[in-house]
Amino acid sequence: MSARILVVDDDTALAEMIGIVLRTEGFEPSFCADGAEALETFRAVRPGLILLDLMLPGLDGIEICKRIRAESGVPIIMLTARTDTADVVRGLESGADDYIVKPFNPKELVARIRTRMRPAVIPEHTVQRIGDLVVDIAGHEVRRGDEVIALTPLEFELLVALASKPQQVFSREELLEQVWGYHYKADTRLVNVHVQRLRAKVERDPDNPRIVTTVRGVGYRAGAVT
Amino acid sequence: MIARSTVPIDWSDVRTWPAALTAAWRGSLRFRTMVLTLTLTAGAILVACLVMAVAIQSDLFQSRLNQVLADARRATTAAQASLDAAEVTDRIQTQQLLTSVRGSIVRQSSTELMAVFRVPGQPISGLAPQPFTTGLTSEHVSAPLREAVETGANGQWWQSVSLPAAGGSTVPGIVVGQQLQLPGGAGAYELYLGYDLSGAAETLGFVQRTLWLAGLALIALIGAISWLVLRSITIPIGQAADTSARLAAGELQVRLPVRGEDELATLGRSFNAMADSIQGQIHKLAELSLVQQRFVSDVSHELRTPLTTIRLASEMINDQRAGFDPATGRAAELLHAQVERFELLLTDLLEISRYDAGSVQLEWELKSLTQLTEDVVASMHQLAEQHGSIVRVLSPGGHTPSRMDPRRVRRIVRNLIGNAIEHGEGRPIVVTIDSNREAVAVGVRDFGLGMQPEHVGHVFDRFWRADPSRKRSIGGTGLGLSIALGDAHLHGGTLGVWSEPGRGTHFVLTLPRGRGIVEPASPIPLEPDAPADDIAALLQSTAPIDVSTLVELNQPDVRGEER
Repeated sequence: MSARILVVDDDTALAEMIGIVLRTEGFEPSFCADGAEALETFRAVRPGLILLDLMLPGLDGIEICKRIRAESGVPIIMLTARTDTADVVRGLESGADDYIVKPFNPKELVARIRTRMRPAVIPEHTVQRIGDLVVDIAGHEVRRGDEVIALTPLEFELLVALASKPQQVFSREELLEQVWGYHYKADTRLVNVHVQRLRAKVERDPDNPRIVTTVRGVGYRAGAVT
Repeated sequence: MIARSTVPIDWSDVRTWPAALTAAWRGSLRFRTMVLTLTLTAGAILVACLVMAVAIQSDLFQSRLNQVLADARRATTAAQASLDAAEVTDRIQTQQLLTSVRGSIVRQSSTELMAVFRVPGQPISGLAPQPFTTGLTSEHVSAPLREAVETGANGQWWQSVSLPAAGGSTVPGIVVGQQLQLPGGAGAYELYLGYDLSGAAETLGFVQRTLWLAGLALIALIGAISWLVLRSITIPIGQAADTSARLAAGELQVRLPVRGEDELATLGRSFNAMADSIQGQIHKLAELSLVQQRFVSDVSHELRTPLTTIRLASEMINDQRAGFDPATGRAAELLHAQVERFELLLTDLLEISRYDAGSVQLEWELKSLTQLTEDVVASMHQLAEQHGSIVRVLSPGGHTPSRMDPRRVRRIVRNLIGNAIEHGEGRPIVVTIDSNREAVAVGVRDFGLGMQPEHVGHVFDRFWRADPSRKRSIGGTGLGLSIALGDAHLHGGTLGVWSEPGRGTHFVLTLPRGRGIVEPASPIPLEPDAPADDIAALLQSTAPIDVSTLVELNQPDVRGEER
C-alpha cells in the first residue's frame, strides 16, 4: 500500500505541521487546502490514506467523503473539532473509516494512520464462508455466487473479523480493538455506523440482517453459513 | 370550561356526592355562582311569598269577617226590631214569633247555621220559647264566647271555629254571637250565627298556589338567565385559561378570539398582546441561544485548529529536548505541559458553554456502575500511588447495568477520585457503589483535611478554590466539579457533597435507574456514619484487611439487593 497520505485541511499551518509529523514517521504527505480541489488532488495523488478536515471552504468535508467513497475504498480519517453526535455520525455515515478529534497528539495520529494502513493479516484459512457469502481473504474479495461485492478495506476487515470466529459474539469494544486498533474505551458509534454500512452492501434485506446479526445488549456475530 | 374535576364523579354512588359537590364548588365559577344566585333568589322569593301569603290571608279574612259581622248585625237588628214590634201573650206566640224571626234572620244573615239559647240565670218565664239550633251545635260555641255574649247585652262577639262540612270534614268558619231581647218578659236570648269561610279559604288556597308557582317559575327563570349570563362570561374565561395553559406549555402561536369592545374583548386583546410579546422575546432568546451555540461551535473549531498545530509542535520539540541545553529543554517541557493544560481548560470551557447553551445530548447505554468505577479506579492506580493513597472499592450493589451516558459518568467518577486523591493527604480513599430500586450511586470518601462549612457550598462554582494559595498537583481546570454537577443533572441525578474539617470529604453521585425518575433518594447516605472513620484507621493499619468487615462497617444496614 502506498505510503502517500493526502492531508485535506484549509489551515496551512496545521497541514504543514501534520506533514512534518508524517515525514518523521516515514510517510509521504501531499496537501490540499481547498475542498473543491480535493477530489482532483485525490485522483492525481492516489494516496494510501486521506486525512480530511470536516470544515472546509469550497466543498464540505462530508460531501468530499461521499464523493471519494463513490469511486474508492481508500481509508479516510476525519479530523474534527466537533465531538457533537450529529457531526461525527454524519461523517461516519458518509464513509469515513475513523475520526480523530482536534487537538490530537502526534502519537495518536500516527497510531490511527498505521492501523488503517497496516497490511491485512492473512490467516490460515484464506477462504471463509459467512451466510451465503464467500470471503476470499487472500484475494481481498467478497462474493455472493458469482457476484463480487465491493467493500472498503475497513468493511472487509470487519467482515473477516466476524467470519473468523463464526461462533463468537463480538462486543463493540472487541471490534473496536480488533478492527480499529483502539486499546481503550472508544466511541462505539464507529462500530454501529460501519455495521450499518456493511449490511447495506452485503445483506439481501438490510432491515432483516442474516450476515451480520445483532445480539441485543452484547454485540454482533456472523450469520450461519447457508 | 374552567371546571376540571380531577376525580371522575360516579353519580350513581351517593357517598361520592359531597366530595363531588365540594370539588364543583371549588373548581367551577359557574357552579358556585349558580348555587349562590339560586339560593339567594329562592330565599328572597320565599320570604316575599310568605309575606304576601300572610298579608292576603289576613286581608281576606278581615274583609270576610267585616262582611260577616255586618250581615249578622243587620240580621240581628232587623230581628230585634221585629221582636220589639211584636205583641205576645203566650208561649205559642213567642214560639211563632221566634220562628218567623228565624226565617228573616236566615234571609238577612245569608247563613243557615244558627243557634239560639236562652241566657241562663233569668227567671223562668212561661213565655220563653225553646232554644233551638240549626247546623250549629253547642260544641261550636265555646264557653268564653257564650260568657261574653251572656254578659254583654248589646255587644257583638265573634270567634274562629271549625265548622262541619259535607262528608264529615270541617271547614274554617266564624261564629258571631249577639243577644236578642224577646218581648213580653220571655227574656234575653243568645243568638249565634255560623259563617262558613270555605269560599274565602278556597280563594286563599288558589292565591297561595299561584303565588308559589309564580315563585318557582321565577326561580327557574332567574336560574336560566344567570346560567346564560354566566355562560357568556365563563366560556371566554375558560378559553382564556385554556389558551394561557397552552401558551405556558409552549404553544406560542395560540391567541384568544377578540369580539366587540367589552371587558372580555379587552382581556383578549391584553392577553394577545402579552402572548405576542412573549413569543417575540422567546424567539429572540432562541435566536440568541442559536447564535451562542454557533459561536461555541465556531470557537471550538477556530481555537482547536491552531491548538492542534501548537500541540503537535510542542510534542515534537519536547520529544527532542534531550538534545537541547538544560534551560531550553526545561522550556520545552513547560511548553508541553502548559499546552496540555490549555487544552484541558479549553475542553472544559467548551463543555460548560454547551451546558449553558443547553445543547448537550446524552448517549445512553446500559452500563454497570460498579464495573465502570472499578475501571476508573484501575486507571488511576498510578496517580493514587504517587500520592500515597490506597483506593478501596466497596460495592454492595450497582452491578446490574443501568441506563447512563458512560463517557460522562466515567468523567464524573474520575474527577471525584482525582479530587479525593489530591485532597486525601495520602490517606486511604473509600469508593462505595450501591443501588436501590430507583437509583445507583457511587460515593467517594477521602479522609483528608475536609472543608469549612462556608466553603462546602461553593465547591461546584466555576473556578472556585477553597484556598487560592494551594497548588494544584493534578492540574485540574477548576471546572471539573461544575461539569460533574452538570453531567449529574443531565442524567436526572444528583451530586451531593459532605465535608467536615478534619474528617474529610464525601461526594455522592446518584443516578436514576430509569426514565422519568428525577432526583431519586440515594442508596448511599451523604453524611457518613461515625464507624466510617474507623475504616480509615483500619485501612491505615498495614495489616491485611478483611473486606467483609469493611462492608459491614460502612453499611450498618446492609441491603440485600443485587448482592
